[in-house]
Amino acid sequence: MIHAGLVLEELRRQGVTDVLGVPDNASKALLDLLALDPVIRLLTVTREGEAFAIASGLWVGGRAPVVLIQNTGLLESGDAVRGTAMRMRVPLVCLVTVRGHARMAARGLRPTAEDLDADLLSRPDLDSVALLTEPTLRAWGLPWETVATDADLPRLGVAFERAREAERPVAVLITTDTAEP
Amino acid sequence: MTRDEALRPLARRRGPAVVVTTMGTVRPWAKLSDDALDFASADSAMGHAADFALGLSLAQPHRKVVCLNGDGSMLMSLGTLVTIVASGAANLVLFVLQNDRYELTGNQAIPGAGRLDFPAMARAAGFARVHAFEDAAAYEGALPSILEGPGPVFVSLRVEAGAEGPLGRGPGESAAYLRPSLAESARRLRRALTEAP
Repeated sequence: MIHAGLVLEELRRQGVTDVLGVPDNASKALLDLLALDPVIRLLTVTREGEAFAIASGLWVGGRAPVVLIQNTGLLESGDAVRGTAMRMRVPLVCLVTVRGHARMAARGLRPTAEDLDADLLSRPDLDSVALLTEPTLRAWGLPWETVATDADLPRLGVAFERAREAERPVAVLITTDTAEP
Repeated sequence: MTRDEALRPLARRRGPAVVVTTMGTVRPWAKLSDDALDFASADSAMGHAADFALGLSLAQPHRKVVCLNGDGSMLMSLGTLVTIVASGAANLVLFVLQNDRYELTGNQAIPGAGRLDFPAMARAAGFARVHAFEDAAAYEGALPSILEGPGPVFVSLRVEAGAEGPLGRGPGESAAYLRPSLAESARRLRRALTEAP
């Protein structure tokens, strides 16, 4: 569990101006806080790829956006990430909640692309989107940090540093639900 | 109307607006304009010019942002019509040049060619100001009022089919704003917008 208030504090510390994304259950507590935040603007979009294009436009216009989506939406966003934030070299942090991580981790699985076969991807006791998340990020050349508990939250700051230094998008995989502050 | 009849009046009247082009408007626009606030959504993500322009407009609420989108591109991100209205982007003017073709890939018909009603879709998404023109003179006469006043504004222009070829970037490109990389173009526009007096 990650306390949403601590995530919000870090977003404020990093000077974030806008959060764009599509809601999911894991980010609900954070979204509830963002909806009331007087400084950070929350914009819900219709599809996750849209969030990367809008965020890129916001950055070009002088703002400091982040994207907040689920890993299912990340997979949907492939060409949008590639053609906007990556191609434009936007220092964009993308918070990605990882659906299915708990079941995958409980079985001791952390597959690479070579491990992914039809049997694994169709197992009913696993959510295939969790299996595909890290191999997809690796294939896309999109670096990431992982945050599983409050103790990991300094990794969020590291992601912002990496994005700014390398002028590129960096993902932050959030592997548990956000909770009330 | 021809593409030139669609673009030339806008080039005369755009003032300090940012203009985002994509697909079939990229090179024709460059023949009419060479401005630091022109941006080609080329060598980028297909169908994401309007949402990129939305981001610009939200970041620069006191500056007009014009997007010259194509009909095939608009279909790839129809949800953006809803997001634009929901965001309250009052400074965004979204043009859709409708020729019912995927022109750059060889003029294949778009889905729904001849039946699609983009202005009706824009109204259904919540756009309060929606315009549609087939006649060049009527469009040119209305353009000043289109560019003034609160948005977001949706403008459908029925244009003749063309023969624009695939887009690239690099020093050999005839269009000046296609010579830098997309990343460099983005930084140039960012400097122009954030360092402006």
